Amino acid sequence: MDAEFSEYISRMDPAIRHHGICTTRFEGVGDWILETMEFREWRSGEGGVDKALLFCSGNPGVGKTYLR
Amino acid sequence: MIDSLCERAKEENLAVAWLYCDHKSEEQAVANMMGAILKQLETRETLKGMRKEYGRGTELDGLLRTAIASLRQVFIGIDALDECPPENLPGLLELLGGIVHEFPRTRIFLTGRPHVKEVIQRHFVGAVEIPICPNPKDIRNYLRMRLERDGKPEAMGNNLRASIGEIIVEKMSDR
Repeated sequence: MDAEFSEYISRMDPAIRHHGICTTRFEGVGDWILETMEFREWRSGEGGVDKALLFCSGNPGVGKTYLR
Repeated sequence: MIDSLCERAKEENLAVAWLYCDHKSEEQAVANMMGAILKQLETRETLKGMRKEYGRGTELDGLLRTAIASLRQVFIGIDALDECPPENLPGLLELLGGIVHEFPRTRIFLTGRPHVKEVIQRHFVGAVEIPICPNPKDIRNYLRMRLERDGKPEAMGNNLRASIGEIIVEKMSDR
């Protein structure tokens, strides 16, 4: 029943996709984002509501999800 | 990025939930996305309690708010927002906006093609954008790795190998 409820509220399973990405991604690519001021400020949570959302934009294939 | 956020999650009572939008998927109603986020914030045990609450008539977004309230900070990541059906985007962003107003420590991370920025900004005026462009150092490392995997390395001289790297990096920065 618990599995059913879990299925019931959503059939999306992002962990599968994430695992797929982790095993095929090229290590280290995109790590520069983690060093940007924008990311650090966002992660700290200090900006409150105004700084709550970070949007990484780019055309298809630039490596927003990952690069393999 | 997800992994780097998750590293700190256990010790600091933080939670990270993420979704990948996919234009091929038909499961991207807002309720479905809410459910997928909720599942990641809950454990098997606490989900049992949630099931009871739900049985008593608490809506999914109420359960999600309860889950977020029980944590010090929640990070929600949604990849490829442009692949989410456009008719569901306003509902999704409204939900996220409501969550952030109620729990100001919540952090939302989105990726998508540049054009979705407009709809994001309707709900998040202060949205911070990082344009992703291929980074020359990343490209160089990546090319080195791909060339090392080449099936016929003997067919490629060192000069050719070096110029492949240079030319591609040069072309990338022209764009």
